[in-house]
Amino acid sequence: MASVFEPYIYEGGIHKHGLILELLEDLGGYLIQKTPAATEVTLIMLIPEKDVPLIEDIAKKLLGKLTKAPLTGTEIAVVSPTLAYHHLPHAACDVAEYLRRGGANTNMIGLARGMGRRVALSADYERRLINEHDLALFVFGTFSDCIINKKPKLFEGIEVPIVVTGGPDLQTEDVPNADLYIGNIGRVAHRLRKDTELNALDTMSEKVGALIDRTREEIAKDPLAVLPARVMKEISDQVPDIQHVMTPAPITLQLDGLRVKLPYYEYHERVENIEFDEGPLLSEIARVTPSKMKNYLLIKIQHKSEVGFVI
Amino acid sequence: MEPLETFVVESAIKSEAEQYKEILSDAISDLVLARAIGRIKVVIRPEDTVFQMAMVLRGSQSPVKTIDFAHVRIGAYGKSGVQIEITNEHYLPQLLDKLWAKYGQGNVRQPERKTVNVICEKPHDEITVIEQMVVDDPQRTLNARLVDMTIRVTPEGFRVRHHSLEGNHFIFVATEDVMKQEWIEETHRMLEELIGGKISGISV
Repeated sequence: MASVFEPYIYEGGIHKHGLILELLEDLGGYLIQKTPAATEVTLIMLIPEKDVPLIEDIAKKLLGKLTKAPLTGTEIAVVSPTLAYHHLPHAACDVAEYLRRGGANTNMIGLARGMGRRVALSADYERRLINEHDLALFVFGTFSDCIINKKPKLFEGIEVPIVVTGGPDLQTEDVPNADLYIGNIGRVAHRLRKDTELNALDTMSEKVGALIDRTREEIAKDPLAVLPARVMKEISDQVPDIQHVMTPAPITLQLDGLRVKLPYYEYHERVENIEFDEGPLLSEIARVTPSKMKNYLLIKIQHKSEVGFVI
Repeated sequence: MEPLETFVVESAIKSEAEQYKEILSDAISDLVLARAIGRIKVVIRPEDTVFQMAMVLRGSQSPVKTIDFAHVRIGAYGKSGVQIEITNEHYLPQLLDKLWAKYGQGNVRQPERKTVNVICEKPHDEITVIEQMVVDDPQRTLNARLVDMTIRVTPEGFRVRHHSLEGNHFIFVATEDVMKQEWIEETHRMLEELIGGKISGISV
């Protein structure tokens, strides 16, 4: 079911962008995120595969740019050893920015005691928070000895795919328990703007996209009972309070669920009782739990093998 | 000594040393320290968990007194005031801060851009006091920036630190384990090499 939609980002003027939204709705696509900025607007959309040319045409008429965004519908944790100026704003923020350009929603997580070699450690709360994401990207430093021998202990208890960035040019196999290693993005104290640095960021985006695609394929073998984007639409329609939430992405899509930025204890019943046209309630096809992030709602959609049907 | 005439970063792997040198360059340029540092050598051994830095600074700057940038005389308020005629506005904010602290904000007036009047009891005595008042100490602010730079370039987890600043000679050793005397001695030897202008070892 997920394969019939293609993720795209539209960047263009705010003038008449409503035409795109109307067409998207008529085609049965989903608007994931809309970010207006002065006279510009960025739309992240899921467009039905066969209808992409229609949106392309209208984007062309409006003099906007429509690009494919392979990371759309994912929530990525960018984990830095701490939030000190040794890691921020460069390179961790630059890495997050590049992932967002690919359509992902990123959360920056600074560990409380992740710095150093022998003393580096992560807390149970931090591990649970990271595990709520689709993928964890650890931003490490310059020394291969640290990345190979000392830092991997921060991966203990992480169940989602692990991507590591660092300065030295290592192979993924060199870094224990990492699913992907990307070099040439080490500790830097300036904005990443040199060609080697930008190339490394492009490589990162590409490889993370490939890793996400693999996870998508895994999910497609036993598909989700409902598409997360569909749940997003139903929440927007049936829980109008979400319109008043001021965070940039009030409903954040994940590969197998969503994060809804409403307080759990006030809203979980209303969200659980969301009805679909086909009959089932959301609570019958998904698990709604409190998130480790600010007591938000975390929805994990069940697979076809668990509920017996797909809507 | 020329600014940054020696700038050496040493580590077991050459490419890593090169990358670390960039971090140092960024910190030095961010804090405008390039002209203050003559020679600098940094050795990082992640496998031993030690960071060593030795530095030779270029000449010290003397404190700036009011007399260096202003004429102080009996003011327009007769015998109850002192008038300060500023020739270099660069130090005016610091001067006003000092005067406010000493005489109170109500007694310090600035009728025009380059004139400051101070109302006081015995202006004749105060003239010398104001003339000799240390308004700015570039060496002190330089040292503060130097400390900032040192903390920025040290690996974050290395919180056990030793430092020594004698005149223009500065050494810094950091680790996350127990500090070893031999590391401090090694860094002192690095400093001596720097002073002599001879740098040993593989360098970048």
